[in-house]
Amino acid sequence: MNIRCARPSDLMNMQHCNLLCLPENYQMKYYFYHGLSWPQLSYVAEDEKGHIVGYVLAKMEEDGEDNRHGHITSLAVKRSHRRLGLAQKLMNQASLAMVECFQAKYVSLHVRKSNRAALNLYTNSLGFKILEIEPKYYADGEDAYSMMRDLSAFASENKTDNQSDNLEIKSDSAIISQC
Amino acid sequence: MPPSNPLPPKENALFKRILRCYEHKQYKNGLKFAKQILSNPKFAEHGETLAMKGLTLNCLGRKDEAYEYVRRGLRNDLKSPVCWHVYGLLQRSDKKYDEAIKCYRNALKWEKENIQILRDLSLLQIQMRDLEGYKDTRYQLFTLRPTQRASWIGFAMSYHLLGDYEMANSILDAFRTNQMKGPYDYEHSELLLYQNMVLAESGQYERALLHLHKFQSQISDKLSIKETSGEYYLKLKRFKEAEAVYEDLLKRNPENVMYYQKLIEAKQLSDPDEKVAFFDVYKKEYPKSIAPRRLQLTEARAQAFGRLVDEYLRHGLHKGIPPLFVDLRSLYADQSKADTIEKLVLQYIENLTKSGTFSSEPEEVKQPASALLWAYYFAAQHFDYKKDTDRALHYIDAAIEHTPTLIELFIVKGRIFKHAGDPVSAYQWLEEAQAMDTADRYVNSKCARYMLRAGHVKRAEDMCAKFTREGVPATENLNEMQCMWFQTEAAAAYQRLHQWGDALKKAHEVDRHFSEIMEDQFDFHSYCMRKMTLRSYVGLLRLEDVLRSHPFYFRCARVAIQVYLRLYTQPLQDAPQTAEPDTENLAPSELKKLRNKQRKAKRKAEQESALAAQVQVKREQHHKARQQQEQGDPEAPQLDELIPDKLARAEDPLQQAIKFLQPLRTLAADRIETHLMAFEIYFRKERPLLMLQSIKRAWRIDPLHHHVHSCLVRFRCWLDSALHSMNQSVAAVVQANCQQLFKDRTAIQMAEEYLEGPALRSQAGALWGSRELRRLAPSRAPHALRLATALHYADLSIQGCVEVLDSLREGDFGPCEEEIERYIEACRAKFPYAIAFKPAQPQTQPQSQTQPELNDNHVDDNVLQSTENAVSN
Repeated sequence: MNIRCARPSDLMNMQHCNLLCLPENYQMKYYFYHGLSWPQLSYVAEDEKGHIVGYVLAKMEEDGEDNRHGHITSLAVKRSHRRLGLAQKLMNQASLAMVECFQAKYVSLHVRKSNRAALNLYTNSLGFKILEIEPKYYADGEDAYSMMRDLSAFASENKTDNQSDNLEIKSDSAIISQC
Repeated sequence: MPPSNPLPPKENALFKRILRCYEHKQYKNGLKFAKQILSNPKFAEHGETLAMKGLTLNCLGRKDEAYEYVRRGLRNDLKSPVCWHVYGLLQRSDKKYDEAIKCYRNALKWEKENIQILRDLSLLQIQMRDLEGYKDTRYQLFTLRPTQRASWIGFAMSYHLLGDYEMANSILDAFRTNQMKGPYDYEHSELLLYQNMVLAESGQYERALLHLHKFQSQISDKLSIKETSGEYYLKLKRFKEAEAVYEDLLKRNPENVMYYQKLIEAKQLSDPDEKVAFFDVYKKEYPKSIAPRRLQLTEARAQAFGRLVDEYLRHGLHKGIPPLFVDLRSLYADQSKADTIEKLVLQYIENLTKSGTFSSEPEEVKQPASALLWAYYFAAQHFDYKKDTDRALHYIDAAIEHTPTLIELFIVKGRIFKHAGDPVSAYQWLEEAQAMDTADRYVNSKCARYMLRAGHVKRAEDMCAKFTREGVPATENLNEMQCMWFQTEAAAAYQRLHQWGDALKKAHEVDRHFSEIMEDQFDFHSYCMRKMTLRSYVGLLRLEDVLRSHPFYFRCARVAIQVYLRLYTQPLQDAPQTAEPDTENLAPSELKKLRNKQRKAKRKAEQESALAAQVQVKREQHHKARQQQEQGDPEAPQLDELIPDKLARAEDPLQQAIKFLQPLRTLAADRIETHLMAFEIYFRKERPLLMLQSIKRAWRIDPLHHHVHSCLVRFRCWLDSALHSMNQSVAAVVQANCQQLFKDRTAIQMAEEYLEGPALRSQAGALWGSRELRRLAPSRAPHALRLATALHYADLSIQGCVEVLDSLREGDFGPCEEEIERYIEACRAKFPYAIAFKPAQPQTQPQSQTQPELNDNHVDDNVLQSTENAVSN
C-alpha cells in the first residue's frame, strides 16, 4: 500500500472508490474543483497495481482570515483494505498539508450519527471532538455530528520539522467513514 | 467602435439594461426591456436587440426561438460584433465549439480589440487544443491589458503548452519581477512552483534546482519542494543530496513506496541482499509503518524470505488484519515464494488447532482464538488463487464454522464460487454477506456486481437502490452520479443476455460521461488562472487529452463495438415496439408539436426533480459548490434520449462502432484488442488499407496471437477474391505490405502451419486455428475438432472451454451433437463447479442457441464476445 498526494489523474479513480464505498457521491466536476483549488490537500492510498483503495478528499473553508480551517469532504477506505491504519494515515497527511500550505488552525468534518466505527476513529484515533449535532444533515434525513480537530500540534511540529513521530495516536482501527 | 446601427439615447439605455440583466441572470427583466425597444416599429428589426433577446431566451431554455432571434438579428446587422459574439455564445452553449470560434472570429473582424470576445475566443481555443490560435489570442490580450495578472499567465502558458519553455520562463520571470510584490501568499507560491515545472520540463534540472533553492522561503508547499528537488538531484546524479532529501521525506510519510525506491536509487543499491538490509534500517526507524516491512518481502529471496514472511504472517494473523492475503498476493508471481507461504500457513493451522500456537516450539505464547480463524481465511484465499476450489471451500467453511458472523468470510466464499465458474452461488453468498451489514455500501456494490455477472440485472438494480436517492429509479441516480462501474458491468451483462439495445444504452451512457468530463474542464480554464493552481491545471489538460484511455472507456467501447458488429451481421428483424403514439401517420408539424410537448414535459419533470433534489441537498453545506455548478443549466444542450430499441436498430452499426473505436486507436494503441476490433469493423466495411493497418499493428504486438492469425487468414482469402477489382495503387500498397505477413503462403498453408506450432500451446490458439482450418478445408474437420476440444492445454480455463463450446454449438465445426455432449462431460470433470457444463441448466446459455447459420462472418461475432467475464476481479 502506498500513500501519496493525489494528482489530477487520480480523481476519476477516487470517484470510483467513493461510489463503491459511500452513500454520498459527487460528479467528477466536484472532484476537479477540489483537485484544482487545493491540490495539496487530497491523498490516496493505492495498491501495487495502482488501484485506489482509499482516499481523502479535502478542502479549505476560506471564511475569514482568523478562521482558516480545513474540511474533509470525503474519506473512504475499501472494506477489503481495513485495519491497515490507512484512514488515519491519509488524514494526517492531509492535515499536515492544510497547516503547511494554508495555515489551517483546525480541520472539520461531518459524520453520520449511526456510523459508530467512523466516530470511534475520529474521536479515539484522530483527536476529533464533537462540536454539535446538525439535524437532518444527510439527504436521507439522518443527523450528523459536526466534528473538529485542533491542528496547532501540527503547526508546531511543522516548525521543528519532525512531524510524524508524535502525531500518531494509538489506534488499530481504520474504518470507512462518511463526511 | 460604434455600433453599426446605433440606437437613440433612450433605447440605447434600454439596450444596456438588457446586457446588464443578462450578466446578472435576470432574464425575465431582460426580455421586458427588449420588448420595449422592439415594440417601437422603428426598431422592430434592430439586429443587436434581436440577438440579445435570442441569447436571453436561450438562458430560459427556449432554444428554438433563441436561434431564430439570434439569426434574425445577425441577418439584420452583419457588421455588428455584438451580433456575432452573441451567435458565438449561443453555439458555445450548444457545445458547437468550432462554429462558435468562427463566430468570434467574425466578431473580431468588426472590433479587433474587444477584450471580452478575445477572452471567450481564447477559452474555446484552449478547450479545442488549438494551441497556436490560443497563443495568438493570448498575445493580443497581453498587449491590450499588460497590467492584468491573467494576461501574463495566459501568455506564458500558451508558450509552455507549445513546448517553448524558454519563452514561457522569460515571461514568468518578467511578470514576477515587475508585477508581484509581497506579501508572498499561496498564489505566489503556486506561481513559483509552476515556473519551476516549466524549467524542469525543459530538461534543465540544474537551473530548476537553483530556482527552487532561491525561492524556497517564498514557497509554502514544502512537500513539493522536497519531492521535486529529490527528483532533480537524482537526475543530476547528486546522490548524497538526493539521499538526504528522501530520508527527510520518509520522516514525513513513511508509507510512501516511491520514497523508498528513490532512496535505494540514491544509495545505488542493486544487490537484493543489500536492499533487504536497507529495509531493516527503516523497519526499526518506523516500526508502525507497513511499507518497509512489505517492500522487504519483495526483495528478499530464499531463506531470508522464509524468515521474513513468517514474521509478517504471524504479525498479521495475530492482529487479525483482513487484507493480509490481498497484500501478499503479488508475491505469488514467484512460485517458490507462493510455496513457502503455503507451507507456513498450513503449519500454522496445524499448530493452532493442536496447541494454539504458530509453531510447535513449547515456549511460544498462546495466540488468541482469532488467529486460527484468520489462518483459515488466508488459506481459503490462497487455494482459491491456485484454482484449487475444493481446498479453498474446505478452509472457508472451517472459518465460517469458527466464526459464523464475519462478513469477509462470505465475500470470499462468493469469490471462490465465482472463480470456479458458478456465478449464481457466488452472488447468493454475497447476498448473505450483504444482509449481515446493510449499511455498508462496499458489500452492497460487490453484491450488485456479482448479480450482474450472473445476469440478474434487475436484481442488481434493486440492490443498488438501497443506496441511491429515494424517489428516483436507481439506474437514473447511478447515471447522474456517473457510476461507471455499474454501467460497464450492466452493459456486459446485457450483452451476455443478448439484450443488444440495453447493452448499447449502457455503453452510450458511459461514453457520455466521458464527454461530460471533457466539458467539465471548460470552467477551469479561467478558474485556475485566478487561483494560480497552474501545475494542477496543466495536469488536468493532460488528463483530458487522454481521458478515454481510462479502462472504463475501453470496456464500454468493447461492448458497443462487439454489439454493433453483431447487429451488422444479424440485424434485428421485427419493428421497434415503442410506447409512443404512432408517429408515422402524423404530419410533420404535428410531429414537431408532439416532440416539443414531450420535451417540455420531460424538462418540467427534470426541473421538478432537480428542485426536489436541491431542497434536499441544501442542508449539506459541503454541497454548495456543486450545487452552483449544477443548478439546472438551462443552456446545456439537450441530448437525445437513449432508447434501446432504436439503438439496436441503428442504420449504420459499423459507423457507430467506428465512433467507439476511434479514441482507442490513439489512446489504447498498446492493446492488441483495439486493432483486432478495428480489423473486424473494416473487414466488414471492405476497406483494404485500414484492414492492413489494423492487422499490422496487432501483428507487431503479438504475431502469434490467435485472433491475429484468424485475421491474417481471412484477409488473405478476401484479397484472393477482391484484389483484382481493387484500385491499382491500393492493390500495390497492400501487396507490398503483405509480404512480411503472408510470406508467400496461401491461406490454407498459413492455417496448417499455425496448427502445427502456436496452436499447440494454447487453448485459444487451438480453437481459432482449427476453426480457420475447418472453414478452409472441411475435409480436415476431424483433425480440427480434435484439437479444439482437447483439454491438455496449460492455459486451459473455464472461459476458454465455454468459447469452444459456443463455437461447436454455432456449427463452426459442422454438425457434432455427440462431440458436444462428450466435450461438456469432459469439461464437467475438469471444472465440476462450473455452471456452464452442468446438464440442462437454463442459465448457462442465453436463449441464443438457435439454428446455427453458416455464413462466413458469424464466426467473428462470437469470437469477439470474449474474455470480459473471464475470471477477473
